[in-house]
Amino acid sequence: MPLVEVRKLTKQFRKGDEVITPLQEVHLDIERGDFVSLMGSSGSGKSTLLNAISGIDRPTSGEIFVNGRDITKMSRGQLADWRAANIGYIFQMHNLIPVLTAYENIELPLLLLPMSASERQKRVEIALDAVTLRDRANHYPRQLSGGQEQRVGIARAIVANPTIIVGDEPTGDLDSVTTDQILDLIQRLNAELGMTLLLVTHDPRVAALAARQLRLENGKLIEKGREVAIVGAEFHARRAL
Amino acid sequence: MFKFAPYVVKGLWRNRSRTLLTVSGSAVALFVFCFVGSVQEGLARLTEDQQAQRTLIVFQENRFCPASSKLPEDYARTVGKISGVRDVVPIKVFTNNCRASLDVVVFNGMPPDQLRSVRDLTLLAGNWGDFESRTDAAIVGRAVAQRRGIDVGERFTIGEVTVHVVGLFRSTVPAEENYIYTHLDFLQRARGKNEVGTITQLEVLLDESADPDRLATQIDAQLKSGPVATSTRSKGVFQRDTLADLAELIGFAHWLGYACVGLVLALVATTTVMAVQDRIKEHAVLQTLGLRPGRIFRLVIAESVLQSLAGGLLGIGAGLALLAWGGFAVGAEGVTIAFKPSLELALTGALVSAVVGVLAGVIPGWQAARTEIVSALRAA
Repeated sequence: MPLVEVRKLTKQFRKGDEVITPLQEVHLDIERGDFVSLMGSSGSGKSTLLNAISGIDRPTSGEIFVNGRDITKMSRGQLADWRAANIGYIFQMHNLIPVLTAYENIELPLLLLPMSASERQKRVEIALDAVTLRDRANHYPRQLSGGQEQRVGIARAIVANPTIIVGDEPTGDLDSVTTDQILDLIQRLNAELGMTLLLVTHDPRVAALAARQLRLENGKLIEKGREVAIVGAEFHARRAL
Repeated sequence: MFKFAPYVVKGLWRNRSRTLLTVSGSAVALFVFCFVGSVQEGLARLTEDQQAQRTLIVFQENRFCPASSKLPEDYARTVGKISGVRDVVPIKVFTNNCRASLDVVVFNGMPPDQLRSVRDLTLLAGNWGDFESRTDAAIVGRAVAQRRGIDVGERFTIGEVTVHVVGLFRSTVPAEENYIYTHLDFLQRARGKNEVGTITQLEVLLDESADPDRLATQIDAQLKSGPVATSTRSKGVFQRDTLADLAELIGFAHWLGYACVGLVLALVATTTVMAVQDRIKEHAVLQTLGLRPGRIFRLVIAESVLQSLAGGLLGIGAGLALLAWGGFAVGAEGVTIAFKPSLELALTGALVSAVVGVLAGVIPGWQAARTEIVSALRAA
C-alpha cells in the first residue's frame, strides 16, 4: 500500500466572480522512501497540492490517505496532532521563530510529542549534527546566515522523524552555493536516512535530484511527460520490474 | 503548557518597550485599585466590626462635631446603673480639624485605668507607668507617629494642646492607630480652659446578653431629664453617621476601582491584539508544526495574563507597601478611617489582574487560533 494516496483531489477557490480550479481530480501515489519533485508554472497548484498532502489546507473534494488514514476527514485539532507526528515542513523563507535559538526552534516539534527532556535533547543534538550546526545551537535566527537558517529549518523538519518531509521551494531564497549545500543535505536525507520527500520547486536542478519528477499542468498531474490515471502507480510498477 | 514558557516569555521580551508600558499601565491601575479598596475596607471595618455593634456611643443630640458635643461627665454614673451595661467610659475628644482631612489629629482623653481595660493596645515603645504618672502624658498611635514623625520622649503640640509623648502603640483596630490618647482631665483643662465635668461622649460597653438597640433607647430616655439631651447609637452606626459625607464619596470611589479594572482590560487587550497581529505568520508556522488551535489560544492567553499579572503584582506590591509605611487615614469630626494593607486586598487584586488578563486575551487568542495557515503563510 502506498504511503500517500491522493484520490480525485480537487481544489477550487473563488477570486471575485471567478472560480479557480488549480487541482482537478488529481491522483497520486507516493511510496515510503520516495523522493518526489513537483514542478509547474506559478499558480499551477503545486503548493496547493503540497499543502493538502501536509494537512494545512483542505481540498474541495477528494481523499488523501496517509498510512491508510484519510486526513481530509480530520478536524482541525486532529490534523494538528497528525502533522506533529507525521509531517516535517521545510519552508521557503525558513520561518524560524525569531525569539528562539536554533536549538529551541529545532526542539519545538518535539514539545508536542510524548517525550522526556533527555530524549528531546538527544534528538535535537542529532538533528543539529545532521545539518552541521552544533556550534550555532545557541544562536538566534538573526545571528545566522540564510543558509544556516534553512539548515535549522531542515533540522526542525526532520527532528521528530516524520512520516514524510515536504518542502515548498526550500532553496528558493538562497544563493547558488548555499542551494548546493542544502540540496546535498536533502539528498542525503533520502539516500542515507530513507526519508520520504516531496518538494515543490521552480528550479530544474532541484527537480532533477528527485527519483520521481512530477509536473502540474492545467490542474492535472503529469509524470515524466505523460498524464497517467494514477501518478506514481506506473513508476512503481516499472521499478518493480 | 509549561514547555512553551520560554516562547511566551521571550515573545513578551521581544517587544519589551510595549510590554513594559503595558505592565506599567497595569501597575498604576492596580495601585489605584488597591488604594480605593483599602479605603473601602477601612470604612467597612469601622461600620461592620462586631465589637462596634456591641458598643454604644452616647453623644449630644443633634451635634456632629466633637467640639460641639458637651455632656455632663456624671451621665456616666447614670448610664452605668442600667442593666446590661458592663462598663461606661467618659471620653473627651479634641481634633485639630472637624472637616474631612487626610491628616487629622484626634486626641481622646480617657481615664488611664479604663483606657487599658477597654482598648486593645500594645505599646511598641515607652511604658504604661509613665503614662499613668504624668498628667500631660500621651500615647500615640503608630499611624499618626509615622505620618507626623513623632517619637517617645518628644513634646508634641497641635491646636494649643501640648503633650509629652511617653509611648507609641499598635492596635488590632487599625483606626485606633490614628488616635492620641491622653488623660481625661488633662484634655478637659487643655488650651487654657476648664471643662472639668464635661465630656464629648460616653462609650458604653454592653453585656453579652444585652440588646444594643433597646439599651440605646433606654439610655436616651433615662438622660432625657438631664440638662443635655442625648443621641445614643451603636459605635458602628455612630461612625457611619459621622462619616456619612465621606462614606458617600468613598462609595462613589468604588467606580474608580472599576474604571481601573476597565483600564487594565483595555490596555492589555490592545497590546495583545497588536502582538497577535504582528505574528499572524508565526502562529501559522506553529500550527504547521502541529500546535492545535486550542494551544495557540492558550499561549496568547498566557501572554496576556503574564502582562496583566506582572503589572498587577507590581502595583499591588507598591500600593500595599505604601499603605503599610505611609500610615494614611482620612478623618472627619474626630472619626478616622485607616488605610491599611490586607491579605484579602492583595489576593483580590491578584485575582482581578489574572481574570482581566484572561478576558483581555480571549479575542486576540481566538483570532490567533482561527488563523488560516495557508493564507497567513502567504500574506507575510
